[in-house]
This record gives sequence, structure tokens and C-alpha cells, in this order.
Amino acid sequence: MSVVKTHLGWALLSLLVLALAPALVKVPYFLHLGILALIWVIVAQGQNLVQGFTGYVSIAAAGFMGVGAYASTLLTTKLGWSVWTSMACAPLIAGLLAIMVGYPSLRVKGHYFAIVTMAYNLVIFILLINYSSLTGGESGITGVPKPENFSVFGLLVNFETRNAYYYLTLMCAVCATVICGLVLHSRVGRVLLAIRQNEPLVDAAGVFAWRYKMFAFVLSAALCGVAGALYAHFIGFLNPEPFGVDQSLNAILAVILGGSGTLAGPVVGAFLVVALPEFLRVAETYRLIVYGLLLVLTTIFMPRGIVPLLAYAWHLFTSLFKRR
Amino acid sequence: MIEFLQQVFNGLAIGAVYTLIAIGLTIVFGILGIAHFAHGVVAMSGGYVTFFLIEKLGVPFFVAMTLAMVVGAILGLLVERFAYRPVQNAAHINAFIIALGLTMMIDGLNLLAFGPDQMVIRTPFQSVFNLAGLVVTELRVYVMVTTAVLIVAMSFFVSRTKTGRAIRAVAQNRSAAILMGVNVNAVALVVFGLSSALGVAGGALVGAMLALAPGLGESLVIKGFAVLILGGLGSVPGAIVGGLILGVSEALAAGYLSSAYKDVIAFLVMIVVLLFRPEGLLGKK
Repeated sequence: MSVVKTHLGWALLSLLVLALAPALVKVPYFLHLGILALIWVIVAQGQNLVQGFTGYVSIAAAGFMGVGAYASTLLTTKLGWSVWTSMACAPLIAGLLAIMVGYPSLRVKGHYFAIVTMAYNLVIFILLINYSSLTGGESGITGVPKPENFSVFGLLVNFETRNAYYYLTLMCAVCATVICGLVLHSRVGRVLLAIRQNEPLVDAAGVFAWRYKMFAFVLSAALCGVAGALYAHFIGFLNPEPFGVDQSLNAILAVILGGSGTLAGPVVGAFLVVALPEFLRVAETYRLIVYGLLLVLTTIFMPRGIVPLLAYAWHLFTSLFKRR
Repeated sequence: MIEFLQQVFNGLAIGAVYTLIAIGLTIVFGILGIAHFAHGVVAMSGGYVTFFLIEKLGVPFFVAMTLAMVVGAILGLLVERFAYRPVQNAAHINAFIIALGLTMMIDGLNLLAFGPDQMVIRTPFQSVFNLAGLVVTELRVYVMVTTAVLIVAMSFFVSRTKTGRAIRAVAQNRSAAILMGVNVNAVALVVFGLSSALGVAGGALVGAMLALAPGLGESLVIKGFAVLILGGLGSVPGAIVGGLILGVSEALAAGYLSSAYKDVIAFLVMIVVLLFRPEGLLGKK
């Protein structure tokens, strides 16, 4: 019980900090980065469902983000739907695609699943670039509208402002984390963890492992779809570039760095992968090298990520006081 | 008809390169169980070294390629020793994530050392023959012959030498091989050296036939894995058949449908094989 209380305490504390951030941060660019980081939290939570819980590395996160982003944008600009409806459709479309492509890819295990999902990401990327009559090709789509304003209790919420958009993404990121938490602590989550540990045993126990894998894959794609839609309507300009394979690797890095299989890990990891390039800006050419090196070193020396390490340090710290 | 044969011929040449890349991947996977995703960028580094040796030092093509294969083999040894060996007892997925990290790193290093521009490796094989309408470029013939020679040499090494026997022993049963006194770590190094040398040959040939550019390594390794899935994991004949099928189907798709979507066709073929024959065309159940 006390463990749950500490976890809840940390969660509420970080939520408080995040909620107050717009009031405290005076540099608009930092708020911009904050919104991107929160969008990445959603992607990383989705990635963690498949990679951390189930133990299948999918390299399609950015592809599904792209599907969500383009779906929402095109529904708004071509069909004239309201941004809110389109954004709500983004996860449905990404999830539907995941159902279709998940079936053949979940027939293979381990690395081959990773390769096949990467092929999906490449196909999505090639289509976004070459199907230019719909997607605008490499030059992209300009003027993606912001969500429509609405008023709550006579207070107008204007999404042209960064603050309003920040709270929208924060709400979505919290929802994504809560959903993943609920999944983790449900029967489904237990089965997913069991698949990670010993899939033949799960099958032998009479559980249809593939149904659960499919669920994780589809939910993860839907979360990436939401993140993509949030990204498109925030930046206001859409081209295929942010939806390539290297961005999917970024999602994997976020999960590994933060701590795969934990709920807090993807949150920490997402903020890290958004912050790291900012720190490494001086050495743009070295960014790729440093990223790769980080990924290798983390996997060798810290395979469980930062969050479990911090939790262990905190545990040592508190037990130090308890003894006295 | 002649156009069809032309596409098949061109497809066989590029398929030969895919085969070289895929054989390197398949022996590493079959023997060590590692999905060596960084194979493509190692191959590209070798291609760049070949380019450098020819342009800056005036070394003849095949000498440059052989030297680059040695450099690639050394790079492969380093990768095995310092990146994969520390995680050899961890979950396989860790090795894969390390491979992704290595890919980013080596890609970045290539970019730093050789720049972002496209480079075509110049070769002396520029003549073109015309066989009853079929345009046969000398370079493509050399690519296919080189591939065949390398495959025969590798099969000879694996089937006839003592080291080759150790490699086969580890592939069949790792624990039994250890009990028989086979040095598994040394075998892993040899396998990585061999695989990287073959990959570099593929990189040099693709650099001569098409061009070297950043990102080509990833695209090559993904094609290589597609070939493995097509042909069957860990199977050398499967890699040969799969590579040629992929090359030909891509060339036909580019010729008759659309060159922008030829990669999509390649992946569609892979997905269809997964649906109906997940163990690959020549793989065992």
C-alpha cells in the first residue's frame, strides 16, 4: 500500500509541476518544447505498451504518428470537418491500419517483428512522399488549422495561444499514461508481461497470446495517431520528414532511456529525447553519433533505464533515514 | 519480350548485391542468433573506403574492394567484441537495440568522414554489349561474377576448413560445441569478420552500380532482412534465391508499374510470404 502511495505521490507532484509550468516558464520556446515533449510522452507510452510490456520492438511509431497527423489534417482541409472531430478520428484510423497490418506481422517473433514493422514505416513514408496529389509530397501541407475555440463557464479558450494548447496536450498525455496504467494493472497487462517473459508458456496455458499482442499493437498505434494529430495541429505545417524511421528509433530510445516496462519511464524518456537535441545543438553533426552511442551504452550498462535506477537510489535514501 | 528479359537481367544484377548482403546477415543470425541491423552501414562504410582508395590513391577496383573488405572485417570484429558480446547473455532484443544504436553511430561517422553527397565508384568496366537487343553492361556481369566467386569461396571455407567446421558446430548446437572445446567467442569473431567482408563487397558493388549516399545502408539492410524473410532465416541457399527474387521483382515493378513505388512492391512481396509461408520459401518449419 505504501508503495502505491509513494508512486501516486510522485505522479501528483510531477503533474503539479507540469500544470504550473506555463505560469513559471517565461520563455515561449521552452513552452513550445514542453508541448513537443508531452506529445512524445504519448508516443513513448504507446511504444512502451509493445516494447516494454510485451517485449516486441515495433519500429513503426513514427509511421502511425504520420497516419494520425495526415488523417486529421486531410479530414479538416479536404472534407471540412471540424478539427475536434478529425482529431478524434486520427486514433481510429491509425488503429484500423494497425489491425490490418498487425495480423501478418504478429506471425513472426523477435527481430523479425521489428524488421516487418520497420518495413511498414518505410511504406508509409514512401506513400506520404509519392502520393503527392493527396499529401502534398515533400513540400507538404501548409496552414493546418488549430482546433476551434470554445468557452467554458464564459471563459474563452483560444487554441492559437501556446498555453491552451499546452494544457490540451498535457490532458492527452495524462490520459495516455492513465490508460497504460489501467492496462498494466488489468488482466490484459498481466498477460502482456507474461508474453514478454515466456510466450510459449502463455500459449500452453491456453491463452490466445496473439489476441493480446494485437491489442497492445493496436492501442499503441492509436496513441501514436493521437500524438500525430496533436503534432500536426500544433506545428501548423505538415511534411513527411518527422515520420521517418529515425523518429521511430527516437521513440525506442525514449522507452529504453527512461525505463522500459515502467509507467514513469516513457514520461522521463520523452522529455529526455526532446531535451537532448537542444543540448547537443552546438554539435549538430555529432547528434546522430551521440544518440547511437547513448543507445548502445544504455542498453549495455543500464538496460532497465533511468527510472528504476532512480527508484533504487530513492529507496536507499529513504531506508537510510528509517534506520535512525 | 526483350524488355522483360532486360528487366530480369538488371534485376539479377541488383539481386546479386542483395544476396551478398543477405548472406552476411543470415550467417550471423543462423550461428549467433543476432539480428545484425548495423550490417548495412558497415557495408556502406566499406563502399566509402573503396571509393576513397580508388579516387585518392588510384588503387585498381578489385584491389580496393579487397582492401575495403579487410577494413570491413576489422570493423565487424570491433562491433562483435565491444557492442554485441557484452549483451550476449541478455534478451535478444537488447542486441537488436544495440544494433539500432550502432546504425545511427556508424551512419553519423560516415556522414562526418565522407560528407552527405552521392558518390559513384568509378570502375574500368564501362563497355556495353548488345545480345540480340538485350543490353548487357560489362559492370553488371562483373557484379554477378564477383558475387558468385565470393559465395563459392565462402561455402568452401565453411565446408572444408577446420574453422568452418567449428562454425558449423556452433550453428548446430552451441552448448555441445563448447563441450567439444570449440572457442565460441573466437567463432563469433570469425563469423562477424566473414559477414562484414561479404557485406562490404556488396556495398562496393552497389556503389559502383548505383551510388553511395547516406541512408543507403539502412535501405540495404532492410532489403537484406526482407530477403531473409523471403528465403528462410539462417539459410544460405534461401538467401541466394530470395535475393534474386527480390531483385527481379523490384526491377519488374520499376519497369512496368512505377519506380517510385518499387520499394513498396518489395515489402508487399515480403508481407505476402509472411502470410502464407512464415518460415520462408526455403526455411524449415
